[in-house]
Amino acid sequence: MESLKLPATGRTPEVDFDFAQGVLRLSGESYPDDVATFFGPIFAALRAFLAEAGGHPIRFDMELLYFNSSSAKALMNIFQMLETAAGNGRSISVTWCYEENDDSMQELGEDFAEDLRHVSFTLKQIPADGAP
Amino acid sequence: MLAQQYAGIKRDLDEKGIIFSFSGYLSEGILYSLGEALREKMTLEETDGPTVRRVFAVFVEQMQNIIRYSAEKMTGAREKPVELSAGMVTIGMEGGKVFIVCGNTVYNADVPRLRDRLEYLKGLDKDAIKTYYREQLRETPEEGARGANIGLIEIARRASEPIEYDFLEMDEGKSFFCLKARI
Repeated sequence: MESLKLPATGRTPEVDFDFAQGVLRLSGESYPDDVATFFGPIFAALRAFLAEAGGHPIRFDMELLYFNSSSAKALMNIFQMLETAAGNGRSISVTWCYEENDDSMQELGEDFAEDLRHVSFTLKQIPADGAP
Repeated sequence: MLAQQYAGIKRDLDEKGIIFSFSGYLSEGILYSLGEALREKMTLEETDGPTVRRVFAVFVEQMQNIIRYSAEKMTGAREKPVELSAGMVTIGMEGGKVFIVCGNTVYNADVPRLRDRLEYLKGLDKDAIKTYYREQLRETPEEGARGANIGLIEIARRASEPIEYDFLEMDEGKSFFCLKARI
């Protein structure tokens, strides 16, 4: 399946979904003026990818610095999709990166992780203002 | 006379510790520009990253509440749909803390429900706010809600003190609503 790559904009994160390798990444900030328009194609691509039989183990790197509450809801959808696929036997690991001292971002990661049973979830602290 | 009038407005703002204010029609484009200016200013003052993000997060949720729920709106579509919503946003310093106050008109019919939600949130401690946020994150949005419905919880969560709010009835149809968060 073809990769999904979207460059970051002032209000939307960089999307780098390499489906062939099973390596997916969201990085930057997310507060789109229209959440449905931005996340719609991401959901569609992810759903199609997860529906494929077999396939690689999946690694999802979440490297978000900030997202608004509407984006939080969209991220929750993504986590629920991943959890369902992992429950059906797909091997999925998610790494949630947060900058050191950013307690809010760390807590938000914990919020999403709370009811994950099948997805392997890791919180990873990264240096402030540095590339992870 | 002109300078005197406007100096009076500026003095009022200064006395309230307001360093940044906007009143008029707000849009997503204005949210973006004001937000960038706000972040640049705080970064120049060497505010630490997480604090800048906390202030910015509250600012975004407050602005989006106005854009979505203000009772004074103009909508239209030229090249792309535009939504302009009347309201005001002020950001200031008070006792060493940043505060953000937003104000906009709301329909009187919506006041009781909004007041109930705010009163409930105001009474929650930090842990209870966190639990409430986690629950609502997993809920499907209420009918008629355009946002995630967790914007107000997000504001309360990022604030360092309980949120403050007030309503002033303007006529039989509308009230002026204010929400203050200290970060």
